[in-house]
Parts: sequence; structure tokens; C-alpha cells
Amino acid sequence: MKKLKNILYLIGLYFKVNLASAMEYRSSFLMQAFGMALSNATFVFYWWIAFSQIGGRIGGYDFKDVMFIWALTSSAFGASNILFANMFRITTIIVTGELDTFLLQPKDVLISLLCSRTALSTWGDLLYGFVLMALTHGNDGMVWLMFLLGIVIGGLLMTAISVTAHTFTFYFGDASLIGDIALEFIINFCIYPEGIYRGFVRAMMLSVIPASFIVHIPLKLARSFQPGLLLILLAFAALYCFIAYKFFYHGLKKYESGNLIITRM
Amino acid sequence: MSVIEVRSLNKLYRARVKEEGLGASFRALIKPVYKEVHAVKNISFTVDKGEILAFIGPNGAGKSTTIKMLTGILHPTSGEISVLGFDPVKQRKQLSYHIGTVFGQKSQLWFHLPPVDSFALLGAIYDIDKKTLKKREEELIECFELGDLIKTPVRKLSLGQRIRCEVAASLLHSPDILFLDEPTIGLDVVVKQKIRELILRMNRDQGTTIFLTSHDTGDVEQLCRRAIVIDHGEIILDQPVKKLKYDYLNRKIIAVRFNLEQHLDVPKGVVVEKSGKMGARLSVDTRVCSIDEAMRWIISQGGVADITVEDPPMEEIISTIFTGKNTAE
Repeated sequence: MKKLKNILYLIGLYFKVNLASAMEYRSSFLMQAFGMALSNATFVFYWWIAFSQIGGRIGGYDFKDVMFIWALTSSAFGASNILFANMFRITTIIVTGELDTFLLQPKDVLISLLCSRTALSTWGDLLYGFVLMALTHGNDGMVWLMFLLGIVIGGLLMTAISVTAHTFTFYFGDASLIGDIALEFIINFCIYPEGIYRGFVRAMMLSVIPASFIVHIPLKLARSFQPGLLLILLAFAALYCFIAYKFFYHGLKKYESGNLIITRM
Repeated sequence: MSVIEVRSLNKLYRARVKEEGLGASFRALIKPVYKEVHAVKNISFTVDKGEILAFIGPNGAGKSTTIKMLTGILHPTSGEISVLGFDPVKQRKQLSYHIGTVFGQKSQLWFHLPPVDSFALLGAIYDIDKKTLKKREEELIECFELGDLIKTPVRKLSLGQRIRCEVAASLLHSPDILFLDEPTIGLDVVVKQKIRELILRMNRDQGTTIFLTSHDTGDVEQLCRRAIVIDHGEIILDQPVKKLKYDYLNRKIIAVRFNLEQHLDVPKGVVVEKSGKMGARLSVDTRVCSIDEAMRWIISQGGVADITVEDPPMEEIISTIFTGKNTAE
């Protein structure tokens, strides 16, 4: 419990510094955030056309359901990038020796490295999800509750996937491509109705690339709340993050450092 | 009392080797070939409390690898390390509260923020309470003459100003040992001198032990009382700087440019390394001819347009040490 409290404290500290750093470029911050939200909004139009042409349901989802998974994917991605933007740069941090800075400090190496950067544009992704929810789901309390829970769980799972993929750098060298592919997979699986996936892909979405736990199960819970399913969701997310964390520390023993010139942005 | 004890320390890397060309790249993909690189070979030494030790050597000698093993960044392949009684491999976090580090090439300050914001974050990372942090900040601002720099975004600071802030940041938690890896790299002469003065002051006032790696013979001469020279992962010399100075740092290079054509009849202890019609590069053996005497002689030639005095490069000194060692053997 004390460790969790320390981790949350550290995340809060870095968040404040990152936000202050982002505020140094206020107009860039606003433009990037607005641009990202605008780019996401075009997809709503695409789905609106699809549903008005086909009508009824696609893969078992109606228009509002699709908007829920879109909003959740966008906000979870935004939240993970606001807090843990270095999840995309883990390979670079390992290869260039930037990891040294975190190893020299008395706090958790993985949490420190993940939190020490924020992505400005992803504020747009986070806010976009909220706007989309407000437009399509109004003030339905249970739906909002599951949406908020989904942001936390989804954000953590996306980060854990990225950490796991990039950790292979300790073993093989450059794993940035694996990291990029893993995140692309997860996002692509998240933004389509669950019913269109079958067999092996469905199994992947419930295990290695856990898209179902990020959006589809929270939607199920929002439609009809089941305490057992909620417990499974929480237990899976905790286990997945724990494995990613342990895998990183196992890889860290193989760290060889580097001597490139590093600046902290 | 020893604060650093190193016994029979070794570090081996496995590096992939590949022949030139695309074909070799494909072959390496299917059947990679590895070679072992012995970065640090069986080194042993101790450092006493309050000592300023120079750990010097050319590029790739094993300096940074050693410093990274002492600070817990890298795990040794074999051997024992004790830093302030801690094992850096098993007690990295506990050790980090007692050591400070400055890597010339790596910044711990946020580029877009003023150092004062990074100091606040570092204070929290090192669990320093707000009152102690404030007091410590004030001490360091005074000692390092940071003044307004502390509130200026790091991106707007000069390299010298940034390094002063980096050193101050590394001292926030009052470490017992400060590891400085190439702290003066890329700095001009005046700023180098300033940084050296500050390091000396900190050692004198606070008794901080300094472990310094440098490429710059000036750092060694002016800061350290003892030097360990490492090359190809092995310690080739461990002796007081005074002796090192007499034996190996006894040469200065003077580059002089004249307005008129000169015929140089050099005094004893001065050798012409290279000469042209209007200038020359001279090597001065300071045991035979002092810099003062050499400069007087140059000025007496008349028509001096420009003059610079430099230390010989570290690689040359290492080579001299090797030659001397081999001859003695």
C-alpha cells in the first residue's frame, strides 16, 4: 500500500513538472490539442455515414455503443500519454543510455522514466472522449462511471503493452518496431465492435493484446452491471500490469548503458 | 577511512560483429557473430573520505563503465564493490541518497523549465523536506553564484551556466561522494576554471569526496591530489598527481604566429615540433625550461602576432606512460 502511495505521489510530481513545461509553449499546446481532437472528430462522421447506410447494428453494436468505445479508446490513449508519454520512447531511452539518469535516483526506475515526459497533443485525445460521451450519452450515471473506470484501466493496459514490447530491447536490441506494432494493434482492435472479431483474434484480444478489457468489457458493464465481470476486469488489469513491471525489471539486469548526449525535454 | 573499495572488478560485454556490406548484414541476421569486449579488467583500488581522485584515460578506456558500476547503473561481471558500505548492485536505491552524479553529456534538468523547478522535483525525489530544501538551495545559489540563473529556463542558459546548475542539482541532497564524469567537456577556459574552483570549494567546505573522470589534463592538475590512469580497461598508473606531473605532465605545447618571417634558435628544453615561415608549434619541457622563460624567449624574437599555450592531449600522455612502463619492463 505504501509503495502504491509512493508511486502515485511520484506520478503527481512529474505531472506537475510536465504540465509546467508544456505551459512554456501555450499556443503550441492549444493548437496540438485542438488539432488532435479535430482529427478524431472526422471518424464520428465516418461511423455516422456507415450506420445511416447499413442501419441497425454492426457487429452487435449500435451507433452509441461505437461512440462509447471510440470515446474510451481516445480518452484512455490520451490519459496514458499525458501521464506516461515516454512509453513510446522506452527503446530510445534504453539504447541512448538516458536510463542512467533514472537509475541514479532513489525512486522507481520504470515509473520515473514513464512519467518524465508528457505529450501535448494527447490532451486533445483525452478531451475528445469526454465531448463525444457528453454528446452521445448525456448524463447516464453508470455509463459515465464505466467510462471513467475504463480510462484508468485502459490507460494502464496501453502503457503496460508498450512497456512489455519495448522491454524486448534489453534482449534483442531495438524493439521500437514491436512497440509501435503492439500499440497499433491494440488501438485498431479497440475501435471496432467486438462482434466482428472471431477465433484466434478474439483470443488475442482477451490475453496478449487485451483490447476487450480496455473497451468491450467496460461497455458490457455500462449496458448491464455485473460485479463478477468487474472483478475479472480489475484482476486482469492488475495482473497484466504486474507482469509488464516484472518483465521490465528482469530486462533491466541486462542494461548496458550508452553515452549519447541527452537533454530532458 | 576508505569510502570506495573496489576489488578485482571486471566487466565483459557481448558485442555483435558484422563484416562490411549488405550480404554480411543478411548473414548476421541468420547467424549473428558475437565477440566479448573486456571493458574493465580486474581493477582494484580504494578512495579515502574527502579525497579528490582523478580517474583518467583516453576514450574507450573504461572510465565511464567503472563509474557506472560504482553508482549501480551497470552490474559487474565479477569482482566486489563497496561504496560508503553499500553494494551498488543490491543497494542501488539506498546508495543513491548518499551520492551525487554529474555526467557532462546527460542533463538532469528540464530543458524548458528554470532550474528552480527541477530542483523542487529533485528535492521531492530525494525526500528532502521543504524547509531543508529551501536552505540548501540558498547555500548552493550562493556557492555556485547562480543568482538569476535559477529562474531562467535551461534552454536559455549557456553551457557553462548549465553545468554550474547541474553540479548544484547533484548536490541538493548533500551527497558524501560526488561522481563527476567529464564535467568540463566542451567548456571554454574561463568557465572550466570557474567550475574547478567551485568543485575545490565544495570539497574544502563540505568534505565531499570527489571521483572525477576527465579527458582534460588541466582538471587533473588543478583539482586532484591522486590520479588513477586507466587504459584498455586496466589500471596502468595509480600515484599522486604531484609525481604524475613531474613524470608525465611536464610538457606544454606553445603555438606561436609571427608578423614577420623568423628563424628560430630555440633554447634548451624547447623543441620545434612543426614550423612554417610565419609560425611554429613548440614543445616545452617544463623541467628544463619554465613556461615563463619560454614566453620571454618567444617575445624577445619580436613580431609576435598570436600565441597559445596548451596541455598535450591525454592520448599522448597515456602513450608516454606506456612507453615509460614498457621501457622500465
